[in-house]
Amino acid sequence: MSSLDLAGGAQLGVAPENVHSHLELLADMGRDFATSLDLEATLTRAVERITDYVDAEAGALFMLSDCGELLKCDACIGPVEITGLEIAADQGIVGFCVKNDAGRIVRDVSKDPDFNAAVDDETGFKTKSILCAPMSVKGERIGAIELINKRGGDGLFDDDDLHLLQALAVSAGLAVLNARMAAELVEQERVKRELELAAEIQRSLLPEEKESDFPVKGVNLPARVVSGDFYDFYPLDDGRVAFTLGDVSGKGMNAALMMAKTASLLRCLGKAIKEPGRLLTLVNEEVAETATRGMFVTLVHGVYDPESGYVRLANAGHEPPLVLSRDGEFTAIEAEAPPLGISPALLDEDGFPETEFNLNGGRLFVFTDGVTEGYVDDGVELGIEGLKDMMTASSRGNVQALLNEVREKIGGEGRILRDDVTLIAIDDGAQSHTAATGAGAAEPGATDAPGEKVFQLRVTAKANRLRLIRNAVRETAAFCGFSETDTGDIVLAVDEACQNVIRHAYGHEGEGDISIEFRHRPDAMILLIRDFADPVDISKIKPRDLDDLRPGGLGTHLIGEVMDEVDFLPPPIDGGNLLRLVKKIGD
Amino acid sequence: MEHQLSESGGAIVIAFSGDIDLQTSPDARKALLGLVGKGQPILVDLSGVGYIDSSGVASLVECLQSVKKSGQKLALVSVSEGALRVLQLARLDKVFTICTTIDEGVEKVG
Repeated sequence: MSSLDLAGGAQLGVAPENVHSHLELLADMGRDFATSLDLEATLTRAVERITDYVDAEAGALFMLSDCGELLKCDACIGPVEITGLEIAADQGIVGFCVKNDAGRIVRDVSKDPDFNAAVDDETGFKTKSILCAPMSVKGERIGAIELINKRGGDGLFDDDDLHLLQALAVSAGLAVLNARMAAELVEQERVKRELELAAEIQRSLLPEEKESDFPVKGVNLPARVVSGDFYDFYPLDDGRVAFTLGDVSGKGMNAALMMAKTASLLRCLGKAIKEPGRLLTLVNEEVAETATRGMFVTLVHGVYDPESGYVRLANAGHEPPLVLSRDGEFTAIEAEAPPLGISPALLDEDGFPETEFNLNGGRLFVFTDGVTEGYVDDGVELGIEGLKDMMTASSRGNVQALLNEVREKIGGEGRILRDDVTLIAIDDGAQSHTAATGAGAAEPGATDAPGEKVFQLRVTAKANRLRLIRNAVRETAAFCGFSETDTGDIVLAVDEACQNVIRHAYGHEGEGDISIEFRHRPDAMILLIRDFADPVDISKIKPRDLDDLRPGGLGTHLIGEVMDEVDFLPPPIDGGNLLRLVKKIGD
Repeated sequence: MEHQLSESGGAIVIAFSGDIDLQTSPDARKALLGLVGKGQPILVDLSGVGYIDSSGVASLVECLQSVKKSGQKLALVSVSEGALRVLQLARLDKVFTICTTIDEGVEKVG
């Protein structure tokens, strides 16, 4: 029996005159347990009082270890200090009581086979009789309280003592359990607070709210406190906008840390490296080198040009982004490369392949599977078709409305997220190039340079190809009817422009190609010289100061001297630089 | 591009032929700077140079600056029409001493 009906004390063989003081003691201790913050001190005090009340020589409280294999003395009163003593959980009278969840009176230990004399032998204490009661709550074993050697009377414990001890042990057990739960709560609170701090830092990694007409918008709803998803977008110095959306495998703190690392790398390097494929190749090397085994990141990174509507992106094993054209057609951009974190050795030499297309006033959506697998009404997944329906329905309005709808439908009040939900949307329809023309952006190469295409040349950007280029230019200029001097000037200008490509745009020989297109108008010849390098900062290209004799800048000066028009056109769709030179005929 | 060295009236004559462009100007520059510090006046014969670009012009400018520092003199002689055009466009035709013949060059800088 492990619980007592205290009100019916007489039934339990307690002498009526003792009931009142028993109850008083129990009530006192109960109060003590309920109000004390220091469990250990309270338990010691309880053992002390019960030992004193029952008039025993010694008392000890044993707790069962977490693993259930050891009993450890946590509090002790008497001539011998045994606090900290550990015995096997099935050893001695204490072990018996805990194991059987039953109280016990041993009047003569020398006659009890369960008695363990080892402690006496070690301490010199002489145990004669024992009273022991288990501490347990609803079958959960916590430990036991043991009293040794009754002093007064016949020196023997009686049932009255046992009942009292059992009642006390129950309330001590409850107190221990409560304290443990409280400690767990405190720990849980601490972990929760740390998670919230981590979540705060994560949120700070997401892009700041941009002005409402910024073409890229995003939403992220973490399933837990922290998220393994992320998105980012930021303007580049050439007017284009870089965007990223990624999903780290897993959802916990490890995913969150991996997300923080990947997002930071992409943001930092993405400002300098504007070709998505090259950027992902680089980031993959870093992630693969340092990622925890088995963790990977599916990701889409791209660059969008609000001027022309062109998008250039690379997809590393991610859910295909969707393009919604102005006439309502969907196109999925499938991944052509594995996720980040995969050994670079498994990739093609060319790294992460890129896809290019023109939004032509449409919209691009990049999202994680948390969106399509998110529950909407009645535990039904939204699904790709459901998402497309939402996209179509909102296609005439502000794209922010779609983001709000996703937020509301999947992550609204009372909904439980199964996975992190992240979506970014690029709205090319809100950009002026479509508003002005009412149609898609100009096709690549179709600059405001009509006229007949006479000749086109594409060669590796190397110094030893310049002679070839000069000869081609000379022949073409002569063909178009230029004088000898003009022809020489055009040759010089093209040569200098190509040198700038080799030396400045690519930085090294043979890094890429140069393409030269010759167009002939009745009044002029137009040369379109393009490379496939990173866009150069046009503001840094200036003709040299003529008083300064140092080399450099001279080429640009020469081009300006001999040509009638020199313009850098907006970066072509697939990157690189496009220079247009115009030489009028018959000047 | 090739170059030939000779002497005339105490001056070193370096005669270039072919195109001096991005590919060949490093060699031209090396050949020119190799003459600096020898004490003799230098005549750069450009009659055989059909084409010179900014990197070639830059090599000439660099050589001229080094020559002036070492107390030597330098002149361009027999400059081809194409090369002269580039020097004019670069506004360097007044920076260099330009002579029509080697004899005139020897007379001016010798």
